[in-house]
Amino acid sequence: MDPFSTLGIARSYDVDLAALEKTHRELSRALHPDRYVGASASERRSALAKAVDVNEAWRIVRDPIRRAEVLLALSGVLVAEDRDPKADPDFLLEMMEQREALSSARQARDLAAVHRLAQAIRARSDETERELSLEFARGSSESLLPRLGELRFYRRFLDEVSTIEDELAA
Amino acid sequence: MALFEIFDPKAPPRPIGIDLGTTNSLVAYVANERPVAIADCDLEVLVPSVVAYLPDGDVVVGRRAVQLAGEHPRDTIVSVKRFMGRGANDAETRRLGPYDFVPASAGEPNTVRFRVAGGRVVTPVEVSADILRTLKAQAEDELRTLGGAVITVPAYFDDAQRQATKDAARLAGLDVLRLLNEPTAAALAYGLEKKESGTFAVYDLGGGTFDVTILVLDNGIFQVRSTGGDSQLGGDDMDRAIAHHILAELGFDPARQTPELVRWLLDQARAAKHELTVRTEVEVEVPGQRRFSIARARFEELVSPLLERTGIACRRAMKDAGVKPEDLRGVILVGGATRVPAVRRYVADLFKKEPLGDIDPEQVVALGAAVQADLLGGQGRSDDVLLLDVIPLSLGIEVGGGVVDKVLPRNSTIPCAARAIYTTQEDNQTGFEIHVVQGERELAADNRSLARFVLRGIPRMPAGMARLEMTFNVDTDGLLSVHAKELTTGIEQQVAVKPSYGLDDTTVERMLLEALDHGEHDLTVRLLAENKVEASRILAATRKALEVDADLLEKGEKALIEQASLELEQACDKEDASRIRSRIEALDDATKTFAGRRMNRAIARAIEGKRVDAVEKTVEHARGIEAAHAAGATRAG
Repeated sequence: MDPFSTLGIARSYDVDLAALEKTHRELSRALHPDRYVGASASERRSALAKAVDVNEAWRIVRDPIRRAEVLLALSGVLVAEDRDPKADPDFLLEMMEQREALSSARQARDLAAVHRLAQAIRARSDETERELSLEFARGSSESLLPRLGELRFYRRFLDEVSTIEDELAA
Repeated sequence: MALFEIFDPKAPPRPIGIDLGTTNSLVAYVANERPVAIADCDLEVLVPSVVAYLPDGDVVVGRRAVQLAGEHPRDTIVSVKRFMGRGANDAETRRLGPYDFVPASAGEPNTVRFRVAGGRVVTPVEVSADILRTLKAQAEDELRTLGGAVITVPAYFDDAQRQATKDAARLAGLDVLRLLNEPTAAALAYGLEKKESGTFAVYDLGGGTFDVTILVLDNGIFQVRSTGGDSQLGGDDMDRAIAHHILAELGFDPARQTPELVRWLLDQARAAKHELTVRTEVEVEVPGQRRFSIARARFEELVSPLLERTGIACRRAMKDAGVKPEDLRGVILVGGATRVPAVRRYVADLFKKEPLGDIDPEQVVALGAAVQADLLGGQGRSDDVLLLDVIPLSLGIEVGGGVVDKVLPRNSTIPCAARAIYTTQEDNQTGFEIHVVQGERELAADNRSLARFVLRGIPRMPAGMARLEMTFNVDTDGLLSVHAKELTTGIEQQVAVKPSYGLDDTTVERMLLEALDHGEHDLTVRLLAENKVEASRILAATRKALEVDADLLEKGEKALIEQASLELEQACDKEDASRIRSRIEALDDATKTFAGRRMNRAIARAIEGKRVDAVEKTVEHARGIEAAHAAGATRAG
């Protein structure tokens, strides 16, 4: 499916998220099952299917990783995590070091250190998103896959930070 | 006066909203566009969520059951909501309490079961159904004919807990219009949509559950951005903290007390908590022991770890929603435990503003549920209010190494669906074992297990060749169903996720039939009534559609639709449910393509960002969009 056309927006990596949220709300106003409680069964079914599609499209487009994946897929690039080209060894090594630092901070229950590490990764993740946006503006191709792989690393790292924050706060 | 109370058989059924709370439950409905709580014969609206099972087989619910709790601590179930959808071995089940649990024997589902008077065994679903029956009877006394119910659940309830609640409602003979999240219900009760827009937080500390929800209000739409909480944290924990404190003061071992003393202590603790909201010190006297006092400051120390736990969930919810305290326009307080001054202070500090509490925090959820019930089941009300809720916890599948692959992330707007494709790990594997879990942790074992099933009959293939497609669907009640399909062979399996400690459909049906005195006859009458209500709704909707979108009708279409409408009206005059049913279906067929065009027009308008009343009729555009959406519906996974 093309989530961009479902939401009626241009197919691009640069998305105005505030405007998109508004569009999603207006589509929900038109399609949400609660709007069809008195309607015929086929109308209810079709509204439900479309509401589900709209929610899925919104979920994909507002997520920078899934947005990149779908843009690549729509231009014919095979995207699957296990098919990605091997990441740059230097990058992998560095990520391993960052993860070790995170794990030490967790053991030392050093919340400040966890925050510092998270902030650094968040900044790099934002930077990678900006680079992706520039590259997408030049066209979608397989050469973007390593960037996407990096974003996935950052996402996993930040998910782990989230777990550790909860654990240390408790 | 009696003249006015004569039952009008033509009066429309009235939808109701029910707050099935840990401590108290209540029922409300909308009268003259305002939600009101329904009182019992003693003019009380709160029904204590307490059920006593007596040796003579009598079941007593509410205030009278509370009085029986002291004498019959094991037979009187208090705060049953904490056990909904829980297994017998869960930590929650083993906390300080007076109950006699039936141990699960090998091969039996791991359900919580209470042994009560006369050796009778009851499940949390049955106990909840007894509370709901009382509320239903109370509503019927006031309204005569009920038109379905919206039942509230904590936003943080997982799939098992939601399913258990729905089962209880069905068992009580209620037609469930919707399971609604409690914080969202509260926001609706505040009627914010009429005057406000902006971002709000709802802080809901009930008897046994804590929820926090961040929602955006925009032009009548309540959009939940994020939700979080703890389904095992509430006012009861404050009571338990006080009870443990008393035991410690006396040098008693909590594990070695009689059920009578435990019940008595928990009641004393609750009374002390209430006293301490207005006084700075209370006296406690355990019979035969020394008296001592508890200062408010000491109480606040005891509950401070509990408040800290709510703080973690609140900060996480704000982070998920991408908001800071300064971005919030207001904070709404819900739940009896928010009457505690320390809670109000904590909330004000956390969100950096004084919380709103002008609607009774113990009634606000039921009032909101009544508003939603009126929107969903009311007659001909076309309101612009809409709730867009989310799933509270991520849903996923266990993959290699016990790791979870998240299929739907938490805070996904419902209704929603997602697909994921997996493959075999071994050569000649003929079955897939599928384990569905809910939660945020990386390992499946650390999350809530929702269901396990096996897709069998896959032909022998080398590892990695088979393609298993899993589809998750979450409906507007937040309930999950899972569909599994092996793509190379087309073998399919559809599973409604029913946790092993829930009730299956046939059990619910059987219990329901047993509960009805004249099972067969009642069901026939009910079926006829339901079909008539549906017919009149569809006829009204069809008339309106013909009027509003007349320009979308094709030649001759109107005459066909009107003919089918007429036949449905005629069928309604004959008292035959199956005839009405078939005419409803015929009308449905006649309006199908017209309905599709109407929906596409609605989509086109939404995308243009215009409201219905401000839009020119754009038939051509509506038809163009149709193609795009038809293509979307048949996409591959």
